[in-house]
Amino acid sequence: MLILRTLLFGPAHGHQIAKHIQRTTEDVLQVEHGSLYPAVHRMERKGWIISKWEMAKERNREFRYYRLTPAGRKQLAREESKWKQLAAAVATVMWPARRDPS
Amino acid sequence: MSLWNWLGARLAAFRERPDREKELNRELDSHLELEAEEQLESGLSREDARYAARRAFGNTTLVREDVHAIWSRGSLERFERDLKYGARSLQKNPGFTVVAVLTLALGIGANTAIFSAIDALMLRPLPFSAADQLVRIYSTKNGIPIRGTSAAGGPSALDMRDFRQNSHSFQKMVSYDAWRKNVSFGNSAEPEQMRVGLVPAAYFEVLDIEPILGRLFTEEENHEGKNYVAAINVRLWRERFAGDGAILGQKMRINDEIYTIVAVMPDVIPEWMESARVGPIEVWTPFASSGVLPESSRAERGDFALARMKPGVSLEQAQADLETIAARLATEYPVDESIGVAVKRLRDTRVGILRPMLFLLMGAVSLILLIACVNLANLLLARNSARQRELSVRAALGAGKGDLIRQLLAETFLLSLIGGAVGLALGQIGLAGLGRMHPADLPQLGSIGIDWRVLGFTVLVSLMTSLLFGPAPALTGTRLNLVDALKQGGRSGTSGRTTQRVRNLLVATEMAMSLMLLVGATLLVRSIFRLEHQRLGIRQDHLLKGHIYVPGVHYPNPAAIARFCDDFATRVRALPGIVNATVTTVYPPNNGWTQMLNIPGHPFTRIQDISSAQFGLADRHFLRTLGIPLIQGRDFAESDNAASPPVALISEEFKRRYFPTEDPIGRQIHIGPPAFLQIAPGANITDSADVTIIGVAGDFRNAGLAHPPEPQITVLYSQHPLVNYGFKDIVIRTAAEPRLLVPEIRSQLHALDPDMPFAEVQTMEELVEAQTGGQRFTTILLASFAAAGLVLAIVGIYGVVSFLVAQRKQELAVRIALGASRVTVLWLVLKQSLKMATTGAAVGLFGAWATQKLTSGLLFGISPVDPGTFAGAAVFLLTVAAIASAIPGARVLRIDPARTLRQD
Repeated sequence: MLILRTLLFGPAHGHQIAKHIQRTTEDVLQVEHGSLYPAVHRMERKGWIISKWEMAKERNREFRYYRLTPAGRKQLAREESKWKQLAAAVATVMWPARRDPS
Repeated sequence: MSLWNWLGARLAAFRERPDREKELNRELDSHLELEAEEQLESGLSREDARYAARRAFGNTTLVREDVHAIWSRGSLERFERDLKYGARSLQKNPGFTVVAVLTLALGIGANTAIFSAIDALMLRPLPFSAADQLVRIYSTKNGIPIRGTSAAGGPSALDMRDFRQNSHSFQKMVSYDAWRKNVSFGNSAEPEQMRVGLVPAAYFEVLDIEPILGRLFTEEENHEGKNYVAAINVRLWRERFAGDGAILGQKMRINDEIYTIVAVMPDVIPEWMESARVGPIEVWTPFASSGVLPESSRAERGDFALARMKPGVSLEQAQADLETIAARLATEYPVDESIGVAVKRLRDTRVGILRPMLFLLMGAVSLILLIACVNLANLLLARNSARQRELSVRAALGAGKGDLIRQLLAETFLLSLIGGAVGLALGQIGLAGLGRMHPADLPQLGSIGIDWRVLGFTVLVSLMTSLLFGPAPALTGTRLNLVDALKQGGRSGTSGRTTQRVRNLLVATEMAMSLMLLVGATLLVRSIFRLEHQRLGIRQDHLLKGHIYVPGVHYPNPAAIARFCDDFATRVRALPGIVNATVTTVYPPNNGWTQMLNIPGHPFTRIQDISSAQFGLADRHFLRTLGIPLIQGRDFAESDNAASPPVALISEEFKRRYFPTEDPIGRQIHIGPPAFLQIAPGANITDSADVTIIGVAGDFRNAGLAHPPEPQITVLYSQHPLVNYGFKDIVIRTAAEPRLLVPEIRSQLHALDPDMPFAEVQTMEELVEAQTGGQRFTTILLASFAAAGLVLAIVGIYGVVSFLVAQRKQELAVRIALGASRVTVLWLVLKQSLKMATTGAAVGLFGAWATQKLTSGLLFGISPVDPGTFAGAAVFLLTVAAIASAIPGARVLRIDPARTLRQD
């Protein structure tokens, strides 16, 4: 879900994705870079993202850029709502009083 | 997704793999470089930066494999890999592989052989166009076909005419017949007795067969006098006439009459269709009649009848159609009373009485296959637990449980394919054997072979076996506890309880199935032994019989026939080495000529109550030649001749049935149908003579080997000119080996008439053997299957006990060290295997009891649940099992406790 969310901002290559997740979660989620690739490839196989070798603007070399597909967007929406439900459920267990103020 | 798309996608993935691999490497490299650059910026040395990048990344190889797996999951590639591993592990263990493949091959080979036999006998389509429309028509009496399963059980010509005229389900119907006749081609070769088909053109039209050369018979040629035309089989044309193009118009002699060859027919009619022991029909002549059918011939049933139904007409409709007509005929004509009709598809008539035998054999080979599978499952179980360490290492290195199971299954798959291939070869050999046995009852067996249907069957069976024996061992084999298995090292503790239980169950199953085979085989062997060593009621040794036909052209009246027969027998009797000879129409074990009788004191009004008996014509040497005892009265004498009053000998059974209380000697009876049936005297089967009973002779088998003797009445052919036909047999008692005298006897016959063949020469022993051919065939096969099953079962129990001993070695050593006597310990091991064997035997006995239907039809004089056989087979099996387990069990006696306990 996080990978998909990252790609929502536009195409990125593997290293960028890893860094982005690390940065945005303020290093709470340290993705082992290696485990990123199986995940990305799995998504590509499922058709949620597509990949293409492209020149990076700032450096003079090619990277493999991943891009979200419409199917990927839908998947993101699905996972997001599922996550929301889960988070809400966890929240009610952890802090029941807050949910019921009266 | 269709299979093809799927396969295409897989193949594409397979092909693009190297590209993907390269790209992935490039991607990972660029990632590492970027990471290293970043680390470099944070002030590390170049070297350290690269290490840091690597650390942050994790295991690159693992990543590569994971990504790889994502793209190739479930692909052909993995299957290929599994097969490769499988092949390697089979190679590593050739002993196991050979035993496993042979076990499987035995099972699959037996199945292949029997399946091809069944395919040839029952499944292969008939060689005729629209063969589904072809039916045979049988006459029935009280619902039972009058000639059983014999094809020659058709309605009489008159009934057939009425069927033809009144039915509307058929395109064409035909009655025909086949007779043994003396045939000679040109003037060179020896005359031969052949079966000649007596057929109108409609016979070929029904079967839709066109002549290769020439023309079909015309309607006119079905009339007596115009019928001297013949059609010959193309095989005969090639063999006898070297495929001579000018064959049409050539002459041949049939029963000393000249026939003109008008057609060459293709060789398509299968041998079984007009089944008989005499071989295929290769010559056809028209079915001649005087043109007018007298009403008295309505009772003359027993021709062959064939018909072709109209397209779209079902068998039931055809049957109902004829039944309606038959019911009307039954009320109109007294001789048709309780006579019905049965229509059967031609293709269903081909196995007849052999059906139960084929089912039995099929059941037996399935059992063999099951035993083979069980054995293999057992072998694999043992092997997999021996491989426990290898598997654990694999699991520790990261193979998932699924991977392990898949790999073990791939191995069994390979095994079953190899087993199938070897089995096919074995089957081929077996078939050659079957072909050689080739019983007379099964002319079809001559043409069996392995074709694509059989091949398909074998592949299917092989795959099925791998499904049968594969999963259980694979599942139990992979139920590992990693840590335990590795820690234990070579130390063999006791294996899991489930594994042990599965193994016991398998051995018990094996025992059960081989016991069933054993029981079946024993029953058949005992039955056939009884059948063949049955008292025929005659002295069986040194008896020879041959058939002659005295043709009407040269021997125009019964007196001439009688004279010829007497001359022949006299000449034979004069030969050295001959004890006696008799010309007769009756000899054991079959007769088949039944006559209605009119016995004073046995009145009747209904057709079912008419007295009847087996009827035979002979000369006065009959009793003495065959060795039948005279019980009462006198034998035929020289003074009984054509001029003296006719006399008859009856059998004891005849006396019991018709003269239970009174003395039959001197009584007069009438041979022939009663007056109210209005059958004219002299018409074919009827004889108007009154005879005087002069003696009672011993019973002899006259209704087949398997049936008790029926009442028999025997008269002199010289005194009954009306039924003194040209068909005669000569039975000869010799002092020396009968076969050696055949040339002498033949030359005596040729001295009397050079055109007369001496046919169907057999000794009495050969005759009896030929009659039991079908059973003998089944028995030999079943016995060999039982032997194979027994061998497999022995291998199974031997293997299990060896394994058991090896596994419990430590425990047993401890027991011995603690003071248990070795015999007690041996008993401990034996007890376990005997328990399995006993359980198996009990189940097997039950199985044999439950499947008694399969054997009951084939047995003679022995019950399908014969207690002696059951007990004997069970005891035998248990003994064998005990021995098979005692041999490896004896290793217990050699255990050196000190050494064993120190060993690991």
